[in-house]
Amino acid sequence: MVSLPQRMRKLQTKLLAIRLGSGAYVLPKDIKRIHMRFAPRIEGGHMGPRKFWHHELVRLKYHNPAVTMTVDRTARPEDAAVMSVHYTSSNPTLSSDSPAAGPAPVASTSASTPAEADSNTTEDVRTIDMKHRTNSEILDELVRMTRAKVVEATAEEVEELRALEEQRVRGAKDSAKSQDVRARLKREKDLLEQARGEMAGQAA
Amino acid sequence: MAAPRYCPSCLSLASQTTTTLFRASTPRISPFTPPPQSLLQQPNQLRAASQNALKYRRKDVPASQKRKKARSTFLVPDLRNAIQFSLVEAMRYLRASEVGRPPTSSKYELHLRLRTPKNGAVVRNRLRLPHPVKTDLRICVIAPSDSPQGLAAKAAGAVIVGEEEIFLAIKEGRVEFDRCLCHTDSLALLQKANLGRILGPKGLMPSVKTNTVVKDVGASVREMAGASEYRERFGVVRMAIGQLGFSAEEMQRNIRAFVESVKRDMQGISDQTAKDLHEVVLSSTNGPGLSLNGSFSSGEDGGVGARDVSTL
Repeated sequence: MVSLPQRMRKLQTKLLAIRLGSGAYVLPKDIKRIHMRFAPRIEGGHMGPRKFWHHELVRLKYHNPAVTMTVDRTARPEDAAVMSVHYTSSNPTLSSDSPAAGPAPVASTSASTPAEADSNTTEDVRTIDMKHRTNSEILDELVRMTRAKVVEATAEEVEELRALEEQRVRGAKDSAKSQDVRARLKREKDLLEQARGEMAGQAA
Repeated sequence: MAAPRYCPSCLSLASQTTTTLFRASTPRISPFTPPPQSLLQQPNQLRAASQNALKYRRKDVPASQKRKKARSTFLVPDLRNAIQFSLVEAMRYLRASEVGRPPTSSKYELHLRLRTPKNGAVVRNRLRLPHPVKTDLRICVIAPSDSPQGLAAKAAGAVIVGEEEIFLAIKEGRVEFDRCLCHTDSLALLQKANLGRILGPKGLMPSVKTNTVVKDVGASVREMAGASEYRERFGVVRMAIGQLGFSAEEMQRNIRAFVESVKRDMQGISDQTAKDLHEVVLSSTNGPGLSLNGSFSSGEDGGVGARDVSTL
């Protein structure tokens, strides 16, 4: 079993990687949904969207949990790779927690596919073309379009990152040293085994 | 056997071919070289040169008798140094890790770490969760479709009910179900139909040992459709506890039901082995494992409430 300090260190690295990094932005409150559609394989310029999904979208989802984010990977390679951002327009019937109202799928055991645009709220949808673009370009365009606010690392997080990095470097050095020691001990043991084996051979 | 060979004189690694040359020519300088007399007189006591040394030789205890105290319980971590999360915080991280995946494909799983001796009884049971994780289990029942058993099975939710038509379909290769039950009266027909070759490797062949040959098919179908099974392995009980699409309240109910069921099981066998719940860890198919501290939500989460965590 892995020891608790090791487990916590690994966990902290992973959690900090979700909280900070490329894609850590707080979106404005009127964004309701982000939907991405691209092909399952990267031929045809779909690598950018896929990387975006794995890296940036994770951080966006952490900082904006109320925004529905869906991914549809049924496009053919020659189809367009499109990200559509759905806004709520100013509607007097909207309640205060608008991202969850209306057609946004509130999770329950029956919800499977997201519902289409409701007739009550007039949706404003803007699209970004993602084909043949890197994930950082896609992110820049999204940020520009939505005027999202970047999430900066707090002082404690900077400190934690530095401590974890230091620990990692120290651990690598210690690991190399202990590997040397182990190799030396193993060599001595092998020498003894060989000697014993030869003595037994001589006695017989 | 594949140990590297070292040159006896310079103690450096040597290849297999050269050692034979050394063996013949150079005098041995290895530390265990005995004087030539004792080689003739005492062929079995190569290490000790004299009787005196033999008397005072340190008696090495053979490895099988060496007293190395083995642990009798599984190690548990000291949770005072652990970083723990409330349910809402944990779900926030896990939902972020699973973003974009179909809401029924990614599952949450719960790991209960127990403080228990290593060779005791294990916790093993079935449980119906308030919100079942896997609901689309297709069950096939082998019974005459017009008998009361067949009708009860259909009413309970079996997908395919019948006898001959099922045998035909299976022989053709159309196995469109995940579990198979058989009524005791139809067992003879089933054996005659010789489907073991097809269903056996899939684990679908009804048999008495796996409790899939039953008298009351209706109740069995109902029980099989909803129940999740769990067992303790090496001091940890693991079970799928929700789909990605579940809300925070649903998860809370499932977690409570599971933990209470395990606690009841532990109490039941407490006279044989003392078991104790030590740590609860929530994880998901693609996310990290987060230790839960027992609370639903903490105040300082930047205003992220249960509602926000429940949207996909």
